[in-house]
Amino acid sequence: MASAGGLNVRHLCPPIVRFRGRWAIERMGLRQRTCLLLLLATSACLPGDRGAGRLMVIDDARDTVRLQRPATRVVSLIPASTELLFAIGAGPQLVGRTRWCDWPAEAAAVTDVGDGIDPNLEAILAQHPDLVVLYLSGSNAAVAGRLRALGIPVVQLRTDLLESVAPHARLLGELTGRRAAADSLVDAFEAQLATVTVSLHSGVRIPDRQSVFIPTWNDPIITVGAGSFLDELVTRAGAVNIFHDLPQPSAPVSLEAVAGRDPDLILTTGAGAVSFTHRPEWQVVQAVRRGKFVRIHGSQFDRPGPRSSQAITELKAALLEAQQ
Amino acid sequence: MILEGRDLEVRYPGVGLPALAGVDAWLRAGEFVAVVGPNGGGKTTLLRALLGAVPLQRGEAKVAGLPVASIPRADLAQIVAALPQREEPAFALRVGEFVQLGRYAHLGPFTPSGPSDRALVRDALERCDAWTLRDRTIDTLSGGEWQRARVARALAQAPRALLLDEPTAALDVRHAMELLELVRDLVASGLGALVVTHELNLAARFADRVILLADGRVQAVGTPREVLTQETLTRVFDWPVAVTTWNGGTPQVVPLRRGETRDP
Amino acid sequence: MTRRLLFVALFVLLTATFGLSLGAVSIAPGEVWRALVDGSSSYGPIIRQLRLPRVILGFLLGGTLAVSGASLQALLRNPLADPYLLGLSGGAGLGAVLAIALGGPIAWAVPAAAFAGALGAVALVYALGRTSSGRLEPRILLLAGVVTSGFATAIMTALMVLSDAAELRNAFLWLLGGLGRASWQSLGLFLIWAPIPLLVLFTAARSLDLLALGEETAGYLGAEVERVKRRVVVSTALLTAAAVAAAGMIGFVGLVVPHAVRRIMGPLHGRLLPIAFAVGGALLVGADTIARVVVRPIELPVGVVTALIGVPVFAILLRREIR
Repeated sequence: MASAGGLNVRHLCPPIVRFRGRWAIERMGLRQRTCLLLLLATSACLPGDRGAGRLMVIDDARDTVRLQRPATRVVSLIPASTELLFAIGAGPQLVGRTRWCDWPAEAAAVTDVGDGIDPNLEAILAQHPDLVVLYLSGSNAAVAGRLRALGIPVVQLRTDLLESVAPHARLLGELTGRRAAADSLVDAFEAQLATVTVSLHSGVRIPDRQSVFIPTWNDPIITVGAGSFLDELVTRAGAVNIFHDLPQPSAPVSLEAVAGRDPDLILTTGAGAVSFTHRPEWQVVQAVRRGKFVRIHGSQFDRPGPRSSQAITELKAALLEAQQ
Repeated sequence: MILEGRDLEVRYPGVGLPALAGVDAWLRAGEFVAVVGPNGGGKTTLLRALLGAVPLQRGEAKVAGLPVASIPRADLAQIVAALPQREEPAFALRVGEFVQLGRYAHLGPFTPSGPSDRALVRDALERCDAWTLRDRTIDTLSGGEWQRARVARALAQAPRALLLDEPTAALDVRHAMELLELVRDLVASGLGALVVTHELNLAARFADRVILLADGRVQAVGTPREVLTQETLTRVFDWPVAVTTWNGGTPQVVPLRRGETRDP
Repeated sequence: MTRRLLFVALFVLLTATFGLSLGAVSIAPGEVWRALVDGSSSYGPIIRQLRLPRVILGFLLGGTLAVSGASLQALLRNPLADPYLLGLSGGAGLGAVLAIALGGPIAWAVPAAAFAGALGAVALVYALGRTSSGRLEPRILLLAGVVTSGFATAIMTALMVLSDAAELRNAFLWLLGGLGRASWQSLGLFLIWAPIPLLVLFTAARSLDLLALGEETAGYLGAEVERVKRRVVVSTALLTAAAVAAAGMIGFVGLVVPHAVRRIMGPLHGRLLPIAFAVGGALLVGADTIARVVVRPIELPVGVVTALIGVPVFAILLRREIR
């Protein structure tokens, strides 16, 4: 309602799931594991002979995924991966997507198979895929197992953070036979990101940066920590998330913790009005009393991908506007 | 006349035959009345009808001359103390607290219990030989102690009549005799007592008057000698019995085994 | 007895002090006192706008839940009764989810809908639990509560599956309970609402003593049994629904506190109800303080803390009872 919850992967992975999952998975340091190994089975193939060789990658679940030839019927159950597949020119190979895949516009033409977490197996099978891209989460582990038992290759990705974009682009390029396109996408992506990012060495001292509170839900108050995409965007835009010290991607916090940390700005995602801030108890927060709100809206703020540098640019503009 | 029921008729929903039909019953001060009869004959229903605890299809029940339905429960509880057969307290009160609950009707929701209440409770406990039990919790009492505690609570109501439903059901000979001797003593001091019981011989020993109920109707009423006859009991209980006498005329009933003759 | 009362008073005072001085920001008790009386303290806003209403509301809610639980346990003659038993949990959940599903951006929509859902469910249970002659039958009430809650939960689950809004899952977090939403406003509303039903329960104390003996006995001892049952069911429903609206569903306070206090003070409700109010209140204030402090700045749902405290206590009490 008031603040349409803007967790980085909210449509894919709703807050309650993340809240539960973080103890089981996030604590194991899985983020560090995101760097994936990309291996080509060189022993069996000669240069220039790639189409006939076997493709092999290791995904975020550390599972080895092998394909005889590049996939031509891909079902993508992650909005971020759908964006990447289109960006590397593999859009025509897509035969299924989630109902949350709203970018790029061409994605609308791809068959909608429903949710990305606990997906509908029958809807997936109906597309006769030769590759399924699945979000890596506890509740999807059984799904991956069942798909593999049915002989369908599954690649599980955790698409929460910016650092995953380049390796995922390369991995998907490998599996769809679009390596060159993936490489040039990664180059462009990294160059743009470097351009828009306000570097820690840019001369702006940390205490001078704007401090930002990012509520994704108001009752109970849920915010994002260092393990979240929004936190990354805010940091790269030159501001500081007041709950950057939380390792969890999202967590419930108390109003007095917000008041105690005294943010300069309140950043909300979604189109909804921030009516909760009219409630009397919120007036203890100085930024609320002063009406220091920044609103951002759009799926580019929900998931890392080719549009992230644009998202950072928009965020910088919004922060600048709020400052004046 | 403390209790008076005239032409009482009670029907339970969904049951064809009436539980009580055309029953007259009454209880005076200083009188011990026993209600006997076969299972399902209407004994407990009669007790409830006299107390206004079941709706009457016909007839009228009066307590102290007033229609029982018009008397607030708290006022009724000051006139009549009744102990239903089953009572299963949810929590383990101490016996003293348990007996003190008998004062509820007099005190209402707020008045704290005063010295006179405490004296009455103590008196009730002592008369039932339960004073030494006062700090025990009720879940630790034996069957006999439990019944004594309940009678003590009934006495704490300072009633004019006691209505007891099967008070000796779970008691051995000694405890059954002790309990009925206590009731007899109370009757001697002026209370009326109406006791529902299966024990024909105890009824014969203690009651001034016996009401024999079967099929919801009064089959016989009068002194034990008038009611507890071989002919009547054999018919009503549908089982052959012999009736002898004890100690100069009190009837005592002996149910016969198959093939036994009535005169040994 | 006096020593026990002093112990209870000390418990209340201690939890209140901790509740006011601990939190995301820890403040020394002396500084708390200054912030309360002196407007210029830098901690003034946090203490006066956040913690004071939170501690007072927590105390009132904990007390209310404990008294409601104790009353229902006597009425239903069932020591496992808790205030949410008569359909309230399912009704409140359905209300909250509906509000978020249909929700405009209105801050009070969720509590208001949870309140309405809880009362609607109890009304249904009440109607189901009445016999043709107008008597309330405790056994049927219990069963009706279970099936009504189950039915509401089924509708709620269907809504969550069918709806597009992932935000619906946040309704669960809301329902898990928290005093973080306490304000002078919500405290004021509760203070207007609660006193009359609370008074009804306190005045029913002696009738509850009789009801706990069984309905027939209670009637013969002078209780107006049906009237008492109606009043107690309606009052606990009104109070619990208001508590849900104020802070979600906080479990185990209404179940465990009456048991614990019965062991200390005995089962007579004249003593049990007021002491259970104080102990329940203090327990919830303490649990809320723990919820705020233990993983700060993250705040645990207070229902999680009351369960973590309540379940072991309940288990110990049960073991002792069996022995």
